[in-house]
Amino acid sequence: MDRSGLAQTPEGRASGAGFAEDADDRFEIVVQLLRHERRERRTIHVVASGDPPTVPSVAEVWPTADFMEREAFDLLGIRFDGHPNLTRILMPDDWEGHPLRKDYGVGKVPVEFVPQPFLQIDAPGQAPEKVGAGRDVDGLGQSAPGERVWPHKDRKQA
Amino acid sequence: MNTQTIAEIEAVGQGAYVESADENRMVLNMGPVHPATHGVLRLLVELDGETVVHCKPIIGYLHTGMEKECEDQHWRSAVTIVTRMDYLAPLFNEQAYALAVESLLGVEVPRRGKFIRTLMTEMNRLSSHLVWFGTQGLDMGAISVVFYGFREREIILDFYEMVTGLRMNHGYIIPGGVWQDLPDGWEPVCRNIVATMRSRIDEYEELLSLNPIFLERTTGVGVLSSEDAEAAGATGPIARASGIDWDIRRDMPYEIYDELEFDVPVAEAGDVYARYKVRMQEMRESCGILEQVIDQMPSGDYKSMDPKLTPPTRSEMNRSMEAVIHHFKLVTQGYTVPAGEIYTAVESPRGELGVMVISDGGTSPYRLHVRDPSFVNLQTLPAMSTGGLVADLIAAIASVDPVMGGVDR
Repeated sequence: MDRSGLAQTPEGRASGAGFAEDADDRFEIVVQLLRHERRERRTIHVVASGDPPTVPSVAEVWPTADFMEREAFDLLGIRFDGHPNLTRILMPDDWEGHPLRKDYGVGKVPVEFVPQPFLQIDAPGQAPEKVGAGRDVDGLGQSAPGERVWPHKDRKQA
Repeated sequence: MNTQTIAEIEAVGQGAYVESADENRMVLNMGPVHPATHGVLRLLVELDGETVVHCKPIIGYLHTGMEKECEDQHWRSAVTIVTRMDYLAPLFNEQAYALAVESLLGVEVPRRGKFIRTLMTEMNRLSSHLVWFGTQGLDMGAISVVFYGFREREIILDFYEMVTGLRMNHGYIIPGGVWQDLPDGWEPVCRNIVATMRSRIDEYEELLSLNPIFLERTTGVGVLSSEDAEAAGATGPIARASGIDWDIRRDMPYEIYDELEFDVPVAEAGDVYARYKVRMQEMRESCGILEQVIDQMPSGDYKSMDPKLTPPTRSEMNRSMEAVIHHFKLVTQGYTVPAGEIYTAVESPRGELGVMVISDGGTSPYRLHVRDPSFVNLQTLPAMSTGGLVADLIAAIASVDPVMGGVDR
């Protein structure tokens, strides 16, 4: 978990002025253990310090942690020393950033699926960047012919 | 290019089909869009002839960042997001989340609320297992079975619609109880469903249990030893079919399960057939639980009537200014949950569904993590399929019963 912004740790350990985004103890790993025979659960908290935040892997001891550690690596950017195959598991392999970090905003990343611009095929001399000319591309009927601006292009320039 | 192993394939970033120097060996890409992978599961399978040498599940095709989205929702409205994770068993997601938030809040759910939850979730176990039953049969070539499974699921879905207004993604179980009371006439409908299911499960067993083709395809196939199951963290019917006698409902009871009588079916063989048998028996046990719950259904409140948690009724708001203020605060701001962290787990049709909730004392979860049983159970797939045939891999996937909405979240 990413603790930045928390006034104190959930289990009550106070931390002076809260966990800052550049604090060394910003990240923490919570491990849930269950013992069948004794019917009891144990929780282990481990602070992942360093840059990138690193903790030893438990995948050797409990192979079930394999996917879970990959998930934590993928979404929070925590490295697990000794993990056999620490790669992204949920996000695409070429993704940048770690979405579950608190400084990773929701909706600030432009959507990957960019619509193909309509080419003006019935007027061969026209420049292809004047997209959507004379057509009501998205059914809103608001764009003047030849002057359509695609929202995603705006966002990229900004 | 003589690419032979999955590791090498990944190194060159190539997917689909690579001919290797050894002409018997190849890497096959199964999925993500394949009718037998139950969603968008992709498997990279290394084959020697027709024998699976190595199998690697690749997931993430349905990842939509629901855990992150929950951080932007009020405690009450995050229910509508968690319910969409495991879409075949939505009520279990809601229940696990609601239990977690309630223990942080220190709220006691009224007894009727607990009974309604148990009624709805056990119905959900039936409807979820029916989808598994249908798809397992379908993948084994028994096409009629899928029609039977979905036919019975339909009457349960109709019951959901009657109670919650929706067939899936109900948002019905909320922190503090359930969203609304059972409608008039629920009891005969429930009894009818239980009676129908009891006779139909026998019918299903007659169709499949001694069917020579089905037996041929499932016995001794996809064997998962008890050690492998425990190492991979398997829970639910998969673990129980491998001899791990563990059911959260019985061993760490929540809601009212300590008052109910039911057996936990366990098998030793660990093959696809054992998983089939365990799930069929579980459906019978669910029918037994449902009968007890219907018989003992108490009257009273169905959700916590704490005005800080539950919006007042419309008639109260007409009379009381305070009620209007409570309503306004609850709708616009939501309620706060004391700072703390909690992990609660319920026994979903697929295993241990755990929800870890961390609150910073605000009106929305600081962090919400879901330990989805499908996600963890997928790790058993390599152990099940290695050494078997490709056709057996299909049987193994069906018997794991993964729901990709839950895996990828």
